[in-house]
Amino acid sequence: MSGGRFLRMSYVVASVCGVLFFAMSVALLGIWPGRVLEDETRRMSPPHPLGLSTSEQRGRAIYGREGCAYCHTQQIRYLHADMARFGAPTLAWETRFDYPHLWGTRRIGPDLSREGANRSQDWQLSHLYAPRALVKDSVMPAYPSLFDGSPDRPRQEARDLVAYLGSLGRARELAGPEGEAHARAGCNCPNDEMAQMAFHGPLDASPARALGQGAVPKLSAAGNLDRGRELYAHNCSGCHGSRGEADGPGAAGLHPKPTNLAGHEYTVDRLSTVLWNGIAGTAMPGWRDLPGNDLASIAQAVRTLHTPQQEPTLPQGILDLGAKVYAANCTQCHGDHGGGDGSAVGELAIPPADFRGGRPSVAESLRALRNGVEGTKMAPWTGRLSEAELTAVAYYVRSLFPEAQ
Amino acid sequence: MSLRSSANPAADAPLVETRLVYAHGVAAIVTLLIAVTFGILASLELLIPDLAGNPAWLSWGRLRYDHTQGILFGWLGNAFFAFLYHAVPLLTGRRVTSARLGRWLFGLWNFAVVAPGWVLVLAGFSQPLEWAEFPVVIDVFVVLALVLAIIQFLPPFFWRGLEDLYVSSWYIIGALIFTLLAYPMGNFVPELVPGARGAAFSGLWIHDAVGLYVTPLALAILYFVIPAATRRPIFSHFLSMLGFWLLFFLYPLNGTHHYIFSVIPMNAQIGAITASALLGVDVILVVTNLLLSLRGSGFFPRDVGLRFVAMSTVFYLIVSIQGSIQAQMAVNQAIHFSDWVIGHSHLAMLGFATFAAAGGLAHVWQRIPWARYNARAFDWAYWLLFAGVILMVTDLTIAGIVEARLWQSAAPWLDSVRAARPYWIVRSGSAIPVAAGFIALLLGLTTGPRGAGLQAVEKTIGLEPVQEIAPRLAPVASEAS
Repeated sequence: MSGGRFLRMSYVVASVCGVLFFAMSVALLGIWPGRVLEDETRRMSPPHPLGLSTSEQRGRAIYGREGCAYCHTQQIRYLHADMARFGAPTLAWETRFDYPHLWGTRRIGPDLSREGANRSQDWQLSHLYAPRALVKDSVMPAYPSLFDGSPDRPRQEARDLVAYLGSLGRARELAGPEGEAHARAGCNCPNDEMAQMAFHGPLDASPARALGQGAVPKLSAAGNLDRGRELYAHNCSGCHGSRGEADGPGAAGLHPKPTNLAGHEYTVDRLSTVLWNGIAGTAMPGWRDLPGNDLASIAQAVRTLHTPQQEPTLPQGILDLGAKVYAANCTQCHGDHGGGDGSAVGELAIPPADFRGGRPSVAESLRALRNGVEGTKMAPWTGRLSEAELTAVAYYVRSLFPEAQ
Repeated sequence: MSLRSSANPAADAPLVETRLVYAHGVAAIVTLLIAVTFGILASLELLIPDLAGNPAWLSWGRLRYDHTQGILFGWLGNAFFAFLYHAVPLLTGRRVTSARLGRWLFGLWNFAVVAPGWVLVLAGFSQPLEWAEFPVVIDVFVVLALVLAIIQFLPPFFWRGLEDLYVSSWYIIGALIFTLLAYPMGNFVPELVPGARGAAFSGLWIHDAVGLYVTPLALAILYFVIPAATRRPIFSHFLSMLGFWLLFFLYPLNGTHHYIFSVIPMNAQIGAITASALLGVDVILVVTNLLLSLRGSGFFPRDVGLRFVAMSTVFYLIVSIQGSIQAQMAVNQAIHFSDWVIGHSHLAMLGFATFAAAGGLAHVWQRIPWARYNARAFDWAYWLLFAGVILMVTDLTIAGIVEARLWQSAAPWLDSVRAARPYWIVRSGSAIPVAAGFIALLLGLTTGPRGAGLQAVEKTIGLEPVQEIAPRLAPVASEAS
């Protein structure tokens, strides 16, 4: 073959090279990482991680169809900024059931990798139905087509989607500390600083996730009222209503209903606890992402929603009757002194009312006694207590509030 | 047969299938206007989320899918086909395989891919994979269409013989073959390979869609139009080929840079980051070559096709340098997931690719003797798009920095959404000059006197029959032989 002909044939060489370049990219960035990840999954996954139920799988398809992944990532990066907001970085094994992956490359809303335990179902349904009813400044699309006209009437698709949201982050959470230890041992990477980040800090760092207990900062009783009202309007009024009467646009689909803040007088401590921890089992999230002085301002604003009324002077007989009825029927849940700390509390998904932290108005108190509190274990007492007894205990629980004594 | 011997009008007339050029050109601009409408609606829904009353088919996610797929297939696909029907015969001196095949390809692309893809996405059938949102059933037709495109456009190159191919020809061959190879990586593999493993393949296609389909065809246009409109050979054929091979070597290796700090092995990430940095170097080579070829034409050349192409070259440089920088870990950790990236992709698709496609369309339209051509409308299109792109990209880049700063702080998430709002308002506002520019482009292609294109050529670069332009595209070496 002459040199000239060889040169002219160089396009053949070049074309072969070109295909090889492409093959190399697939091998280096697709197949090889796939092998590594597969191996990592084998070593680090708990033996039987919980996959998705049929309903959750259908929900996943809806999540994909609606492009949720184009605003919400499902991938917490190995970065402190990501971990502080969302929790532990995503491990390979956590994604083993994801056909196709929903990692996403844009965050308009927060990452949802660990959303499962962050919000209650009623909150998720109401939020899908009308996001701005609950989160005033949200830009999320509403999905009324998944419902039959109200957040209370989800169609199968809405239930599937919420079931799927509830599954996010579940497998790793269920694996527990043993699962983490197993993954860490399987990783076998004590000197890999980045890989080790996956095992540091809380699994779920979402400030919205309601905590049973937590080190609650003591809020100052002197918040900035104007700032508090502004924050309340943006963050709270959706459910609690602009005047605190539990009539916000987001209240309709919530069970239990949001607390009527105008009908209660609260201690700053009680508000600190609820704002910081949220109320587990209900739609009330934690607000730990707000700075302390903002929380104090909100507490201040909430306290002003209640209008103090002239207290009637009650005959001692009524209070005595109330104390008797309370001791006989209420202490197991609400506690001997009304602190919401009775012996049965551990068995209740939603904590009972704490009369030492919040003093209900007579009307609120009677309403709860007569109707029960929907969505909780508080049942109506009208069948078991006489009208006089109901009234007496309604007044009695008000006397438990420390500032009333 | 030498290319010069075809330089008599009789032989030239049937060489380019001008009706197919025309059909794809009109389809390009019509699908563009539809795709832009999806984009504008999506951008407005970020400002007024309940704007459309929340019917399922107009929800943000579905509009977002249709916007990008419409741009990728409808606008750029059709514009590229229009260019190929013009360029391939001129580059090879031979007709494309078959005009009948061309009609099938046109029908398949527009009525089996773009239109049903859009409708299916709105009806809730899609796949949640970036640049691959049309459902799998549509992907089958895309692959079929890509095979037909190879059959249509590549044989003329092989009949001619592959020696001394001009760089545009290399880009065309490369784009058609490698798009076909890369397409399944993002469209089929992640459905079969789960989670992080699938994401690695997704990353490949996210970059290959831009790197092996859009970029090579856009560059084929730049390399074609610049010498044809300036009537000077390209500055350096050596640099052209160096740039070409570096591009096809480096682009596919970029994919994992969409998942930096993820669980995908760090070595793959580092490899992709390195390739991203080197890619910037390659683009500097390519753009240097193109800008040196443009020298003497001014920053805003009088010929509107050349003007679009010149600006496309500049956008290409900026977007690639930006890409190299934003793939670096220190930058990426902050701006990833933010509007900065949306700005980047608009600079790539609306700046670089759209200006190349519009320049290519203007160039080929001028050379269809029977087509209407409105020079004033083209002028307007250029300036409106120029203003719109710069406004939108600047705005989104700043928005990304603002979001990134808030995400790094302890501020509540919603603060970043509230902070983005003014920037989103400006972004929606930037859609006004962009959409007006595209309407002007449509008017440029469909109004004005027939044959006015050739007059425009005469006014700006001197009238020259189409067939005389072709030999100037051949490498210098072949002219000597």
